[in-house]
Amino acid sequence: MRQWLHIAFPRNYLDRRKRAGFLFVLPALLFFGSVYLLPLAQSIMYSFYKIAPGGAKQFVGLRLYEKVLTDSTFWTAVGNTVQLLLFSVPVTVVLALAVALGLNRVTNLKWRNLWASMYFLPFATSLVAAALIWQWIYDPVYGFLNYALSFVGIPPQKWLQSLSQVLPSLAVVSVWVRIGFDTMIFLAALQSIPAEYYEAANMDGASGFQRLRYITLPLLNAQIVMVCILELIFNFKIFDQVYATTQGGPAGASQTIIGLLYDTAFKFFRFGDASVMAVFVFVTLMVATLLQWRLFRKPVEY
Amino acid sequence: MTSVATKIEAAPRERIALSRTHVRWLIMLAVACGAIMVFFPFFWMAVTSLKTAPEIQRVPLQIAPDHWLNLSNYVEVFKRESFLRYLLNSTIVASVAAVSSVVVSSLAGFGFAKYRFPGRDIFFLAIVGILMVPFQSVVVPLYVWINDLGLLDTYAGIVAPDLVSVFGVFLMRQAIEMIPNDYIDAARIDGASELRIFFLVILPSVKPAIATLLIIKFLWSWNEFFWPLVVISSPQMKVVTMGLMSFSNMYFIEYNLLTAAAVISILPILIIFITLQRWVVQAVVMSGLKG
Amino acid sequence: MKRGGWWSLAALAALMVAVAFPSPGFAQQKKLVLWTHWDQNPDFNKWYAEKGKEFAKKTGYEVEVVTIPYQGYEAKYLAAFMAKNSAPDIFMGMTHQWCGQYDFCDKMPADLAKTYDENLPKYMVEVGKWKGERYGIPIEHGNFQQMYINTDMFRKAGLNPDDPPKTFDVWLADMKKLTIADPKGGEPTQVGFAIRSKGAPVGITDKFLPFAHAWGARMLSPGLDKATGYANSPQMVAALTFFGDLVNKDKVASLAFGNPEDAFGQKRAAVIFRESWFFGWLKKNAPDVNFKVYALPCEKVCPGAGALFPWTDLVYKNSPNKQVAWEFMRFISNPKDDMEHHQLQGILPVWTVNLDSAYVKSRPDYQSTKDMLAQQVPPSYFHPKSNELATAFGEAVVGVLFGKGQPKPLLDEAAAKMDRILKD
Repeated sequence: MRQWLHIAFPRNYLDRRKRAGFLFVLPALLFFGSVYLLPLAQSIMYSFYKIAPGGAKQFVGLRLYEKVLTDSTFWTAVGNTVQLLLFSVPVTVVLALAVALGLNRVTNLKWRNLWASMYFLPFATSLVAAALIWQWIYDPVYGFLNYALSFVGIPPQKWLQSLSQVLPSLAVVSVWVRIGFDTMIFLAALQSIPAEYYEAANMDGASGFQRLRYITLPLLNAQIVMVCILELIFNFKIFDQVYATTQGGPAGASQTIIGLLYDTAFKFFRFGDASVMAVFVFVTLMVATLLQWRLFRKPVEY
Repeated sequence: MTSVATKIEAAPRERIALSRTHVRWLIMLAVACGAIMVFFPFFWMAVTSLKTAPEIQRVPLQIAPDHWLNLSNYVEVFKRESFLRYLLNSTIVASVAAVSSVVVSSLAGFGFAKYRFPGRDIFFLAIVGILMVPFQSVVVPLYVWINDLGLLDTYAGIVAPDLVSVFGVFLMRQAIEMIPNDYIDAARIDGASELRIFFLVILPSVKPAIATLLIIKFLWSWNEFFWPLVVISSPQMKVVTMGLMSFSNMYFIEYNLLTAAAVISILPILIIFITLQRWVVQAVVMSGLKG
Repeated sequence: MKRGGWWSLAALAALMVAVAFPSPGFAQQKKLVLWTHWDQNPDFNKWYAEKGKEFAKKTGYEVEVVTIPYQGYEAKYLAAFMAKNSAPDIFMGMTHQWCGQYDFCDKMPADLAKTYDENLPKYMVEVGKWKGERYGIPIEHGNFQQMYINTDMFRKAGLNPDDPPKTFDVWLADMKKLTIADPKGGEPTQVGFAIRSKGAPVGITDKFLPFAHAWGARMLSPGLDKATGYANSPQMVAALTFFGDLVNKDKVASLAFGNPEDAFGQKRAAVIFRESWFFGWLKKNAPDVNFKVYALPCEKVCPGAGALFPWTDLVYKNSPNKQVAWEFMRFISNPKDDMEHHQLQGILPVWTVNLDSAYVKSRPDYQSTKDMLAQQVPPSYFHPKSNELATAFGEAVVGVLFGKGQPKPLLDEAAAKMDRILKD
């Protein structure tokens, strides 16, 4: 409390520095406070209420938490979401890194811009449009994928219609959309690694692989952690692509947490239950992010 | 004996030289192949937009459309929805969101990266926490709130949740953290105020990150679907994503029109991106020269 | 400079806000706002606005039609209704949801309600009603499944396309003749029946219900308050067994064929059960398919014309213009406008007197619709929790199709779940 007083009425240069720092973050804080805080608080409040037919609210305490967290449908959705994650996140990060490293090596600027734009283009489409186009590529009868596979003798697969293939197929769509974004981040970071580091390494006779492991990756550590966290959050909250294509099918094999949340809130009209799921998502992601941060962040010396 | 020895000595150096170029070509090839595979769905989308509905249904699959200049789908799209207006709306909204994001995120990033003040980590966590809230659960209260402010069906209302990007704060903080503290201290010794330091030292050093954020935030805002759907009711304020989704309805998806609309929505972005790419590269190169 | 810097930032922010703010309103035309998510019927939607211009001459109110993408429409409706003053005056939705689950609908004036009760086909009288009171006007007739057959494929298999199967036993035999199995044991190259197996469970329930009703089963008790004993009755088990066997035993239907509409349009399936909008889709997407439309086959009883999704035009309860809204509804509630409205888009009119007009007689589904209407009216399930109930039920159906279990245990599980939902 005393510290805040010193910020408001700075005694010395250090306090003024602290105040400046606070003022710099103030606009962002004000924004989030004014736009999101109230709705967030309200939606948390909803998780303690049940809406009866006719619209009246009824306080039920933790009963909805008990109901949702013991529902097998909910945990199936959680399981599906985690499976999707386990495929999308590592693949996206590794591929993006590989592509960024590759693009960084391309010296001809025109080619590099061309390839980079092509990788980035999927990010320029809306998730729904991307999903619909992929759904069509995946179509068992007249989709391009089965058509191409038939040339190498593979029989037509069911892809989005198959219980076992639906999650990996959806994951591919996510990877496709996100790879350009992460590549851009990595590429921008790679570009700002001073050349002297590599020259020094070359003089010491380091191989390409060693350069990668001891210079590039540690220097990119901050970005890698950031990308991993962002991809985790994005894929955990996956909704648009699934809803536009499989809608959780077939037989619930692709129902995700947010998909279930949306259905519960807007198709089943059970806002309380949906708010419980929202709180679950929030807490899970917060814990996961904190863990990732603490475990993987290493300070880098310059 | 010696001749063999010298031959063996000579060979490895040549082999290294060969494999260096080899490796470089392999990398180029891999990158190029990847790019083509990633680009393929767009090619497919563009080709489909030139086909009529019966052509799309045809089995076995036919890659090329019957008539390469069949623009009937595009005509139909413009007839059904005022896409030009939607493109304008999307551009305005996305531009405001992008610029505002950059301004606020770089300020906040600076504050988080280079200053210590009470509550700093908690504030950062709170901001990142926004990203973890499923938007679907706050959409109704947010709508009521925006409605109370009288901002429904306005550009302000559409762009409101998008004005600051959590990712932007993240990115700017990382980028600014990498700036050596010596530069900042030197400027301070010269007597510059904190804000001056921000404009003269920080911003120029993170140009690539700013460019990246501008592009990404613009695209992200351009492709927003759910919030514009909820907050816009007037036909003149609709955005591109809403126009796109009108071709996927309760009963079926009109792929011929959907792909044409998708091409229309991407074309301006493509143009912007290609022009901006050169600027990005320039900024990057220039900041690299500064060392 | 320091202070000046902060001020200039604040000024920049203010400028941006000013640019984004709406321009001050000028005197606005009085109007009724109508929301619909039927974006596949643009002509139908535009007609409201056209009629609105006529209406404006009488009352000064025009009609503004807003089409909302189907995906996400529930969220938009709900948000608008919760916020009250931004809600539409008239909106298209399902009565039991917006009037039953919530209380957003205004009751229809008694005289208008009487008009509709007297002029709608028997099976549609309940559509637009909740607890016996009428709230809305049904906008769609023909939203029940009928049998479309590919006449060429029938002939090729030695069947007479003019003599369709009238019972499911004969139907199954015909399906077998129409299926061309793969000699290598993979998926058949051609199936008799295009089955719906993808998408949300609600849609799958919708497609399965005619089978259930034909076997004499019903999803819920007549009072819509109990599921056990109905959703898992012996008749339901029999119906679901038959349905699942189509894929798993008789192999006259396949899960590998994607959309049933596409399968039929690509001549990979000879028969599909679809609603009246389907032949419009066929004309556009697969004009070379020769088809005929017939009433669905019967088993113990005939499936009849039913609707799981009763789409109606409703009036918002808290609308300041609701009197005018009802005036407009009255204005368009006559046989002539009904005819014009639906014919514009190529869909079936709603008034009984229009069902024998020249336009309807010229449609390929004229006779079949008449036959279906003559059948017994099947159960309807207009319950506020219908979405959730149908989803739980659909999970059992999908489970059987995908071989995840046997009909009886899956249905028992679904019925228990449905009872829990009903009690909640």
